[in-house]
Amino acid sequence: MTNEEKISLIEDALEIEPSTLKPETLVGNISELDSMGKLTLIVLCDDEFNKKLTGEKLKEFNTVQDILDFMA
Amino acid sequence: MEGIYMADYLNLTNKRIMIAGVATGIGKTTAILLSELGADLILLDINVKELNETMALLKPGQHFSFPVDLSDILNIEKKVNGIIDISGSLDGFVYCVGIRSRRPLRMITPKVLSEVINLNFGAFLELTRCITKKNNFNSELSIVGISSIAASRGGAGVTAYAASKGAMESAVRCLAKEMAPKKIRINTVVPAQTNTPAYTALQNMAAADEDAILARQYLGLGEPLDVANVIAFLLSANSRLITGSAIPVDGGFLTS
Repeated sequence: MTNEEKISLIEDALEIEPSTLKPETLVGNISELDSMGKLTLIVLCDDEFNKKLTGEKLKEFNTVQDILDFMA
Repeated sequence: MEGIYMADYLNLTNKRIMIAGVATGIGKTTAILLSELGADLILLDINVKELNETMALLKPGQHFSFPVDLSDILNIEKKVNGIIDISGSLDGFVYCVGIRSRRPLRMITPKVLSEVINLNFGAFLELTRCITKKNNFNSELSIVGISSIAASRGGAGVTAYAASKGAMESAVRCLAKEMAPKKIRINTVVPAQTNTPAYTALQNMAAADEDAILARQYLGLGEPLDVANVIAFLLSANSRLITGSAIPVDGGFLTS
């Protein structure tokens, strides 16, 4: 899956306007990533990529690129 | 005097009890405790390795174990009949199987919902249906399901799980009345946060605000044995006047 496709999945799951997120977007600036948003991202990683994202790991993410790398 | 003296407290000798879901946590601890109280056990689990590990921890008795995938709900009846043919009829049944689903509504697809309801509630009801058929149980059969505080308290992200446990508690209230003439009792235990692998897994998830939860659970985190003790009591004749109930084992959560 390309980075663009992954970003599109994240935007769709978090109900963010398409083409808003860039790889360099800071995770801390994504207002939709509140507690339910974080849970959504965790479930998305599990469902789509079979990756177990933890709360601790999520805290380490600086940019959207870190999320994309984790999904790889 | 009618009733059971406390001096005979929790003697389950010669009681044949089926436990579904014994790989870890409350189910595993319950199996070990019931074997120590003299019961003969029939253990069911999908995980063969952990099923065997729990079997190895039991006190000696006439125990059986069977690997069973309870999500395959249409085949439960055939399985149960085959098992009881081997083991003999039951005096008790405990259902400890469950998916601890944690998802926001937008991620609860029909497939996910059906998996959670099917395993947490559907298989419990189907096993209860099969076990309570004539010749499959002995007089004074006692059934216990593991519910959750989520059945009666709202929490963001636990919709599917809470609904499955609510379904269990509602069904148990009805079944208690329906099955009383057959001398069958049925109850649920209602744990709050309990120190199990499932709890640890949840703690690792981002949205779990455990400090806030444990502030309400003012007696602290529960241990599997706290819940297993109450299950053993509900299986015993000492609890003969208790049916249709949801018994909290919650460190005070539901009162705070």
